[in-house]
Amino acid sequence: MLEVKSLSKSFDGFKAVNNANLDVQKGEIVAVIGPNGAGKTTLFNLITGILKPDSGTVHFKGENITGFPPYEICRKRISRSFQIVNIFPRLTVFENVQVSILSREKRTWNLFTPSTKLAIDETNRILESVGLVQKKDRMTALLSHGDSKVLEIAMALGGNPEFLILDEPTAGMAPEETFRCIELVKRLSEELGLTILFCEHDMEIVFGIADRIMVMVRGATIVQGSCDEVRCNEAVQNAYLGGSDVCLM
Amino acid sequence: MDFFYAIIPPKVLSQIFVGLSRTTILFIVSSGLSLILGVLRIPNVAHGSLYMIGAFMAYSLSVLFGGGDLGFWMALIGAPLGVAIISLVAERGVFRYLYEREHLMLLLLTFAFSLVFGDLVKIVWGTEYKSVPVPQMFHGFVYLFGGLPFPLYNLFLLIVGPIVAVALWLFVNKTKIGKIGRAAAVDREMVGAVGINVSWVFAIVFVIGCLLAGLGGVLVAPTVSVTLGMDHTLIMEAFLIVIMGGLGNIWGALLGALIFGLSQSLGILIWSQFGIIFPYAAVIVVLLFRPTGLLKSTW
Amino acid sequence: MVQSRMRGKAQLYVYAGIVVLFVLPLILPRFYIYLTSIILLTGLLATSLNLVLGYGGIFQFHHAVFYGVGAYATALMLTKSGLSPWLSFIVGPLVSGFLSFIMGLICIRLSKLYFGMLQISLGSLVWIIVYRWYSFTGGDDGIHGVPLPDIISSPNSAYYFTLIVTAACLFVTYKMIRSPFGSALQGIRDNPVRSEMIGINVKRHQLLALIIAGFFAGVAGSLFIVVDNTVFPDMLFWTLSLEVLIMCLLGGWFTFLGPMLGAAIIIMLRTFVSTYTTYWALVLGVLMMFVIFFLPNGVLGYIEEKIKKDFIEPVIKE
Repeated sequence: MLEVKSLSKSFDGFKAVNNANLDVQKGEIVAVIGPNGAGKTTLFNLITGILKPDSGTVHFKGENITGFPPYEICRKRISRSFQIVNIFPRLTVFENVQVSILSREKRTWNLFTPSTKLAIDETNRILESVGLVQKKDRMTALLSHGDSKVLEIAMALGGNPEFLILDEPTAGMAPEETFRCIELVKRLSEELGLTILFCEHDMEIVFGIADRIMVMVRGATIVQGSCDEVRCNEAVQNAYLGGSDVCLM
Repeated sequence: MDFFYAIIPPKVLSQIFVGLSRTTILFIVSSGLSLILGVLRIPNVAHGSLYMIGAFMAYSLSVLFGGGDLGFWMALIGAPLGVAIISLVAERGVFRYLYEREHLMLLLLTFAFSLVFGDLVKIVWGTEYKSVPVPQMFHGFVYLFGGLPFPLYNLFLLIVGPIVAVALWLFVNKTKIGKIGRAAAVDREMVGAVGINVSWVFAIVFVIGCLLAGLGGVLVAPTVSVTLGMDHTLIMEAFLIVIMGGLGNIWGALLGALIFGLSQSLGILIWSQFGIIFPYAAVIVVLLFRPTGLLKSTW
Repeated sequence: MVQSRMRGKAQLYVYAGIVVLFVLPLILPRFYIYLTSIILLTGLLATSLNLVLGYGGIFQFHHAVFYGVGAYATALMLTKSGLSPWLSFIVGPLVSGFLSFIMGLICIRLSKLYFGMLQISLGSLVWIIVYRWYSFTGGDDGIHGVPLPDIISSPNSAYYFTLIVTAACLFVTYKMIRSPFGSALQGIRDNPVRSEMIGINVKRHQLLALIIAGFFAGVAGSLFIVVDNTVFPDMLFWTLSLEVLIMCLLGGWFTFLGPMLGAAIIIMLRTFVSTYTTYWALVLGVLMMFVIFFLPNGVLGYIEEKIKKDFIEPVIKE
């Protein structure tokens, strides 16, 4: 479904992503792992159009979407959540999700119908499914960190995606929140048939829910395969699971 | 020489020199503004008022010391210091509590200061025009390229400009405070975390920036009539120069001032009625092709 | 539910306010009617700025350009063309909207401070042209004694005209802020990157907002012609832009009626202070400092916070 070929991006000579390759099949959950600074977030930014790659291609459902602006990518039904909480702090929880839906329905050019009458049911349904419906009238600036991260996912769902990218969905969450969040991700995959690409530091979570894993070190893909393949791969063990991330070269 | 004039007509040449003198003033004022913007992130609208205060102080000091050469030199030293003291009070009293606010708030706060300063000038010096005499030793002309008259005072300005540029460069790059300031411009929290008292570094940088505004005011005083409202056009020009050159970049301010000063003086030659649109047009062209200014900005 | 109750109450106050404004000419002397007209149209100007500033998060530093250009376009059409005078009240704002579109196209690629500065630069260019083009704009003299249609030439009728147009424009602006477009705009203000990622074309939405704001600023400019019969280059000088910014901040730039309140406070205060002293700028400057220190969300923002505290928090605790 998503195919990334030899994607590269450098900042002032520093190669943040260097020849990354990735393919994701429909319905899969794929994890990207790698040490801090390996370029995971940059890779996601390249796929979703926030950054433009220096070279390489991104294909989605056979279509070349390399270098498309983010709003075009979103219309291809790719949604994402961010590592650092990235929401609209001055809007309510409800409005955050509602804007996302209105945008997908291309109603944001509507100047005169009150928003309060639009997309109510769908917004409520999404909030219900992620468990935020009780807090829907709160200003999002007042939400807890865990709730904000869940809201991120809810906003991504507002775009009615086929393909969901989650950048460290459980970062900074309390253990119990983490558990709930992982359950949510699993459910989304099973109930809605979403294809999910995510990155995560917690190996237990990764091996628990991922169908396949891609390992990145210093911007490059060193291997992509099933959990067992990755677990047994020597280069990965050296670079990552062995705990030292310097001896790869 | 005739050959030389055939390439560049004397009229154009003399306008270039006029433009360069103007550039000196613009550079001195906008480099101070750029310093404050780069390190403290304050778009200081009151900078123009400090320039005006510098000019008025130059007038008072010059009168106080008899209006002659001594008066001018005392003004050259005293007025920037006076402006520095005013800015120190403003920084310690008000600005330092607001560094974390949004740019918009800081812009409006400094605008509030410029309103207050404007009226204070009115209260202290009245509304009449003031003039500061050109010192005796700078009376007369030099003759450039065999016969082109150029006022000695403007020559003096052309010498002061580079001196200020070099001094500022030394301050930013060679002194401890300058280095801390540059580091703080990139990552303020980090510098604070290392245990450096950022607050006082900021105060010093702010005061030096304002001192430059005062210096610009003194230097311009003998060439224009010192009057209320002289801050309005200048602050706008200084902002545009800073933006054009790259925020916080001293050499950018120099380059911007050169472009601004020269396009202003040559523009008038080309089209007297609308000549002053050329510098503004230059800014627009620059920003269209280099949205963050000509040289690397500090943020 | 609490919010809708609050909104209902606010609506009631607004209706009462409009009624009061309608009967005002019966009680107030002529000068105060003139003053109220100025407040209304300046409030409209500030509200139009706030559409892009408070709701759009765009650093529109030189909003007065669109006000001035709207006024000039109207005045020039009234004095120099033989067309229907009513047409000029439509053409003026349209010219402003078009100028806003052109300037927006140029500036929109830049963000925040750079946007603001480039806009000031372009605006200053317009100001210079108006200021220097004696034969067409009258230069620094401006244009005086602009002829008006009889029906709006008396102070009272000018007042009613201003009141009705302003109320209509505010109503439309309010509708827009509550519309999906308004939601998207506020989302862009809060977080442009996120907005792009949920499929909003940020630049285009901002551009539309700029055009709308420019148009309404032009309406305010045309109204100034109706009330004052004159136009002069100071109307598009950058200091006026900052004054309008101050009005937004003073009233509360995250509230809808804040800018109108700010305009009212500043204009009334200026009139009042000016009778005692010539140092109005000093008073304004000091007032500004106090507002920035103690009321960063403005007067109306402060009141709103207060009400929310008294209203909502007990409900949440229950």
